[in-house]
Amino acid sequence: MASTIASRRLFHEYKLLTSSPPDGITAGPVSEDDIFLWEALIQGPDGTPFEGGIFPAELKFPKDYPLNPPTMRFLGEVWHPNVYPSGLVCISILHAPGDDPHHYEKASERWSPIQSVEKILISVMSMLAEPNDESPANIEAAKMWRERRSEFEKTVRDGVKRSLGM
Amino acid sequence: MPDQQQTLSVPSLLLLAAFAAITIRYFFFTKPSTSSLRTNSRAANPADVEQIATMFPQIGRREIIWDLQRNGGSVNATTERILGRGSLDPPPPSFQPIIPPGATPSTANTNPAQLKSKHIDLITRYNLGSKISSPLSTPSEGSGPSGSPGVSQTQAWSSNKNERQALLKRRREEMILNARRKLEEMERGRLQQDG
Repeated sequence: MASTIASRRLFHEYKLLTSSPPDGITAGPVSEDDIFLWEALIQGPDGTPFEGGIFPAELKFPKDYPLNPPTMRFLGEVWHPNVYPSGLVCISILHAPGDDPHHYEKASERWSPIQSVEKILISVMSMLAEPNDESPANIEAAKMWRERRSEFEKTVRDGVKRSLGM
Repeated sequence: MPDQQQTLSVPSLLLLAAFAAITIRYFFFTKPSTSSLRTNSRAANPADVEQIATMFPQIGRREIIWDLQRNGGSVNATTERILGRGSLDPPPPSFQPIIPPGATPSTANTNPAQLKSKHIDLITRYNLGSKISSPLSTPSEGSGPSGSPGVSQTQAWSSNKNERQALLKRRREEMILNARRKLEEMERGRLQQDG
């Protein structure tokens, strides 16, 4: 029962995201046979070192979506303080309302059923532009971002070029 | 009177001593003996240690093994503790587990130089090699999956499952190819400036 609600809701979100996609975002199920696994492409925000890059990510939804949030993992290289070396994205909107592992997140920023895939992807896009220094998932990237900004930007730009095969 | 007092206090003293012995034994020996039993019988699973070390490269393997052994090998409990407190308890100096020889130093995982070889690029991932050199196309002038020209972005949704899948695939490819073309142009522009 719960999983039919989840698949209906996901299908609805897929439709919305397809008919009026937000700027720089393409997302949908890898195959409609499994609506709980999506792949998204996020464009690097302009005016940041991520500009011009396209970042593929995988979203895995729980069977009780939208009660619980999906997990999101970048499939390519993303050198960013809030992205684990494994690609896993650490951002408040992906944390269930009950758990607040870092004790700094406002309830309104965390996951709730009124949020959506679109909001997650937009939040991740703005996270790329503005890293959150309070909860680094990649310590090395966070340190570099804080202390050697130009090196950080160069690392990111080189990654963008590599990811586009140049 | 004094005689009677003495006879009374001897058994009560014995009783007290026995009680004290049991209490002391209970408090001081039961806990350590069970926990040491657990520590010995439950060596941390190397795969679990690696998994946590990959997730939290800032945490040393010694701390991870120590924590896993103390909580009975629960990856979840250790992960929760790291997420909640940002660190783990330092193990006592006497705790020297055998760290697998393959284990890399914790920072190596996050080295940007290492990331280079780990990922395949988007052109390879989405199999776009043949399409890179094709002329620039804007989304509106691209052709539909069935070959019909003029499928614009507003018609992105189809009631047919296979068509939807094809449309999504095309949107992905366009996004990547456009990014690649822009980057190529930018590189060309920069080379001209330099030259």
